[in-house]
Amino acid sequence: MRYLAEYRDPAIAKALIDRITTRATRRWTLMEVCGGQTHTIVRQGIDEFLDSAVEMIHGPGCPVCVTPLEQIDKALAIAAQPNVIFTSFGDMLRVPGSDCDLQQVRARGGDVKVVYSPLDALALARKHPEREVVFFAVGFETTAPANAMAVWRARELGVRNFSVLVSHVTVPPAITAILEAPDNRVQGFLAAGHVCAVMGYTEYEPIAARYRVPIIVTGFEPVDILEGIAMAVAQLEEGRHEVENQYVRSVRRLGTEPARALVAQVFELTDRPWRGIGTIPMSGLRLRDEFSAYDAERKFGVEGLRVTEPADCRAGDVLTGRIKPPQCTAFGTRCTPEHPLGAPMVSSEGACSAYFNLAKYRRGEGAEVGA
Amino acid sequence: MCLGIPGKITAIRDDAGLTMGVVDFGGIRRDVCLQYVSDEVAIGDYVIVHVGFAITKMDEDEARRTFEVLREMSQLEELDWMADVADASLKDTEKRA
Ligand code: SF4
Repeated sequence: MRYLAEYRDPAIAKALIDRITTRATRRWTLMEVCGGQTHTIVRQGIDEFLDSAVEMIHGPGCPVCVTPLEQIDKALAIAAQPNVIFTSFGDMLRVPGSDCDLQQVRARGGDVKVVYSPLDALALARKHPEREVVFFAVGFETTAPANAMAVWRARELGVRNFSVLVSHVTVPPAITAILEAPDNRVQGFLAAGHVCAVMGYTEYEPIAARYRVPIIVTGFEPVDILEGIAMAVAQLEEGRHEVENQYVRSVRRLGTEPARALVAQVFELTDRPWRGIGTIPMSGLRLRDEFSAYDAERKFGVEGLRVTEPADCRAGDVLTGRIKPPQCTAFGTRCTPEHPLGAPMVSSEGACSAYFNLAKYRRGEGAEVGA
Repeated sequence: MCLGIPGKITAIRDDAGLTMGVVDFGGIRRDVCLQYVSDEVAIGDYVIVHVGFAITKMDEDEARRTFEVLREMSQLEELDWMADVADASLKDTEKRA
């Protein structure tokens, strides 16, 4: 597509930065929910260019970061079993559990495999009927359609040696929890474009109205993010609080309906703890009863596992925007990408790793937008 | 895992009742499940792919339209900026005169 690279155009970015900084009569506080957007913002220096007009707070939209410790520990317990092939997206391998991570389970002889798609895990199960293949089904609404399809297909094809360890989370309850917090400072949100590509944005409309916050469905290129910020600032300056769609090229109001439909057929809402944040009511997905044969927690008897989170990682404060990563005393010292204490330092979408890598980016190509 | 990547559909096939296809990501081709967008896509269309699944079709006309609005805006601001500079230098000249 010709019009993809254009969304990185420095001249347009510069014009948007000027528009935002001249439009703002005061400094507004916005949150980008998605970890992918956090990386673009920090890497391109968007937060610094806009510093006089907007404070960007980084939100909890990194699925690796918010997967609760107890789900990691369940994964570790299942992966260590002798007849199991444990499959996962690559970014989960180094997330620390209570006493090790999946990579270490593999080093000790566990059969842990990285797959690109949950359908690859299902294909493995069909290839190895004598083994139990488990897929670690994590993520937001963007990965839920893929995981729903893997379970649906397994049932359709009669595959019995396949199951999923589900740790799905959904965005709107997290936004609500942030807005409900007594010390909330966020005045407007950039909603994650691809979450809305699947789900549409009708769920955000009552939130925008009730809490009187603009919510802008925003894409991932630098120009998308700047345009999303410009739209949010315009609303705040005019005293409006609506859901607006910046990412029209990929998002429709009702999302991708066949994907929503299958997610609703396979999963149902449940309370879910978020790592570092605590339990958010009805913020997660679990398998519906008719798919319980594919539930790895039941198959391997790990349902009851409960653990408490270590105190030294401040992931919860980072993920809710109370502190920026460098304000954590472990940042860059006791906690680095090589030896992470918490998930936000491991994940390619985590805020802590974004800040840690910033120095590296600056030495390399430097900040590109508006420079 | 959460990054969605746009790519162009180069092949579509039926795999035992599931619509699958090949998507080209700037030269790299991958097998992708097209089931969720099967009603609306054809070879040559762009889709956003997450973990091996096309989750939405990308609308090229919309992409062009948005871009052109943005480009127009950036040129307008450039014009404003040139007008500001011209104004300022005029005032300078007036002061000196
Ligand atoms: S720097 Fe490390 S220890 Fe501190 S909040 Fe981030 S992940 Fe946790």
